[in-house]
Amino acid sequence: MRWFGFGFNAFGQIYGQDKLLEGECFENEQEVKVSSPTELTAQEDRSDCRLKTDCQIRASWSRRASLYLNGDSCVCLSGFVSNDSCGNPVKESRGCKDAIISESYLTLAFSDRLESWDLQKKETSPSWSMEIKTDPEISGTPLNLPLVPGGYIATKTPLYRSLSPHLRAKSLALSSEHAILLSASGTVYTWGLGSHGQLGHGGLTPEEEPRAVEALWGMPMSCVATGGWHSVCISDGGDLYVWGWNESGQLGLPSRGLRKATQQQISQQQEESPCRDASTSTAEEPQEGEIHEEVFISIQAFPALLDITPSCEVSTVSCGCRHTAAVTTTGDLYTWGWGDYGQLGHQTLISSDEPQRVELFKEQQMRVVDVVCGAWNTFASVVKEEVAGP
Amino acid sequence: MSKDVSLMHTLWTKISAVLPKDEEQFPLPFGAIVESSVVEMLRRSRRQLYSETTSASRMLTAKVLLDFSWEKLNTGTWRHVDKEWRRVYSYGCLFKVAALCRGVPSAEDVLEALRTCDMGLLMGAAIMEDILQVIVRILQGEVRKSTKREDSEHPQVKRIKMECPHVPVIREEVAIPRVKRPSLESFNTNYLLPLKPLILEGTIEHWPALNQHPWSIEYLRSVAGCRTVPVEVGSRYTDEGWSQTLLTVNEFIDRYILNKDGVKGSGYLAQHQLFDQIPELKADIRPPDYCCLGEGDEEDITVNAWFGPGGTVSPLHQDPQQNFLAQVVGSKYIRLYSPEDTDKLYPHQSQLLHNTSQVDVENPDTERFPEFAKAPYLECVLQPGDVLFIPVQHWHYVRSLELSFSVSFWWS
Repeated sequence: MRWFGFGFNAFGQIYGQDKLLEGECFENEQEVKVSSPTELTAQEDRSDCRLKTDCQIRASWSRRASLYLNGDSCVCLSGFVSNDSCGNPVKESRGCKDAIISESYLTLAFSDRLESWDLQKKETSPSWSMEIKTDPEISGTPLNLPLVPGGYIATKTPLYRSLSPHLRAKSLALSSEHAILLSASGTVYTWGLGSHGQLGHGGLTPEEEPRAVEALWGMPMSCVATGGWHSVCISDGGDLYVWGWNESGQLGLPSRGLRKATQQQISQQQEESPCRDASTSTAEEPQEGEIHEEVFISIQAFPALLDITPSCEVSTVSCGCRHTAAVTTTGDLYTWGWGDYGQLGHQTLISSDEPQRVELFKEQQMRVVDVVCGAWNTFASVVKEEVAGP
Repeated sequence: MSKDVSLMHTLWTKISAVLPKDEEQFPLPFGAIVESSVVEMLRRSRRQLYSETTSASRMLTAKVLLDFSWEKLNTGTWRHVDKEWRRVYSYGCLFKVAALCRGVPSAEDVLEALRTCDMGLLMGAAIMEDILQVIVRILQGEVRKSTKREDSEHPQVKRIKMECPHVPVIREEVAIPRVKRPSLESFNTNYLLPLKPLILEGTIEHWPALNQHPWSIEYLRSVAGCRTVPVEVGSRYTDEGWSQTLLTVNEFIDRYILNKDGVKGSGYLAQHQLFDQIPELKADIRPPDYCCLGEGDEEDITVNAWFGPGGTVSPLHQDPQQNFLAQVVGSKYIRLYSPEDTDKLYPHQSQLLHNTSQVDVENPDTERFPEFAKAPYLECVLQPGDVLFIPVQHWHYVRSLELSFSVSFWWS
């Protein structure tokens, strides 16, 4: 399995970290905004972590964590990390079973304990830890960070928050201000701030306690994800539902602000590079006034079904702050939303309110199997496409 | 920067003169709430300011700072956004402005720099002794130099074609009383303490806005034409199609007052602390002396501008402070209801709009709101030079009858 990354790379979290001195960042647009999927490679001075073994990726704004679970498991960090960390496994992570990363904390799950380490200060002990009682009678659902026994780990302090066992939480996605929980029965619950419709209950008011999204009642869901101000989930049947803020087209619904900004962007880019092939952009003719009657959606307060592409099932989805990436059962990766840093992977810096396939994987006959988004970037894992027999 | 000692006072010379001399003298004090990765970006921008690098690099680092802090500014409620993030946003604006104005900026660069300063003033928090305010003045001077010629080539229409407003006739029984220059004591005894509305006449004649530089479209363009301000679009804030946008004062005047591009719908520069943003206009007004009867200091008075064409409507609502509404240009029809009659005014139930009535005052739905007709009220047509005292929590409805500019003073 190979991993590719695209989007925000100012701290070398996708590639090129070996070129940066400690704490430095890239200044050059090509290095900061990676608009074409770039393979993640093993760093030169890494001795015992090889990207040949399967790894999982977690990403925050300025860092990427590679989680190696085979044999001697560990986490390696890239991006805004100290020099001695760069390329070497985080020593506190040896033997971990799972990890999640936010801008401030690296949370590690071990078989007998959980630990959250402050990434900004060099400390000798974790900021928070908890023992896991490995009682076979209370084994329940397997560990699924940020879910932990009895609750979950939030993105800011207090780190540990409790959750009612009645919810039977199976998976949880968090943004800094809202949360979406998937129960064992496939019910979706949301809570937190709702000013941009991200809770999906039809209004803009906050919810202090988990509240079931009634509009999805009766349709079991299998996967949930959150962006900064939007939420998505996939039904058992592979349908994708979206709700929340659509200011950059992150819901895949027509976005008025985006159309205006995109038109400006395109005319600017055409001025700068007149030989650029305009067919790579999703431009409309820059005319005055409405081209056709269109309903723009800036806030979607109830879940809406999003048809990415006809007759395709979605297998997994992930969100950055203001963009969304989905993998179909046919092995294609679709992205939409904010694209200023190349996080949509279409070799442009244009945002889009329409899901588009990342063509590079198709062209190189790669099958996308997973996608994980950082705040402003996207990571996709691929395997070689098997040539279909007759 | 070139060491050419020619005395050409370029824009960049003026701007770098107000910036710290070097990196060491450039403060970047931030608390723990700003992540170290962001502080690193800030330091990078500062380094780029004083070193040889490309304009593209500087713009890019500034963009990262602006994008990151913008997300923080949009997280949670505005009131709870940590001031540190608003400062980061202002630093982002500063670094972007510096990058735009370096070397030989084009006219578009200067306008973009101006817009960026305004974004920092509107959404950010003051940094480095309000340096964005200092720089905006330099930029305005630059813009004025280049537009002076253009003005004489295209003489503006001096007068808006006279709107003939349908002026409602005010019945004497319900007219808000008028007193010319009441003494502090009589105002306090007869109106402030018993919370009774009053129109004070002859109290703002001395304002430069009515004297030395009478406010007009031309004057506003010259003082603030290229400045970016928030504008409310859509007929009233209780409507579904209502939204806010950012325009320059010139754009606002052209589109919503002169209707130059035939855009439908109304625009209102409403409830904006314009005078904090544009000190030249602040110098044209004075807080009414009567505010000293309150408990707060002069700094605690919130001053808002209300500038728009005829037909702008503020639906019936109440505010938690005393209000002096000073009319400078044009006239407004205003109706007041006492808080004692709130039960007949059908306020919205929602938290967001509970201070706003559901009733359309000049076209009430008598079936849905039968009690409304029974509520007693006072009304007036407020003219230039008038100051209306709206007691705290008094319900008020306002409709402009023509091009209008009012200034409100909220005090306690």
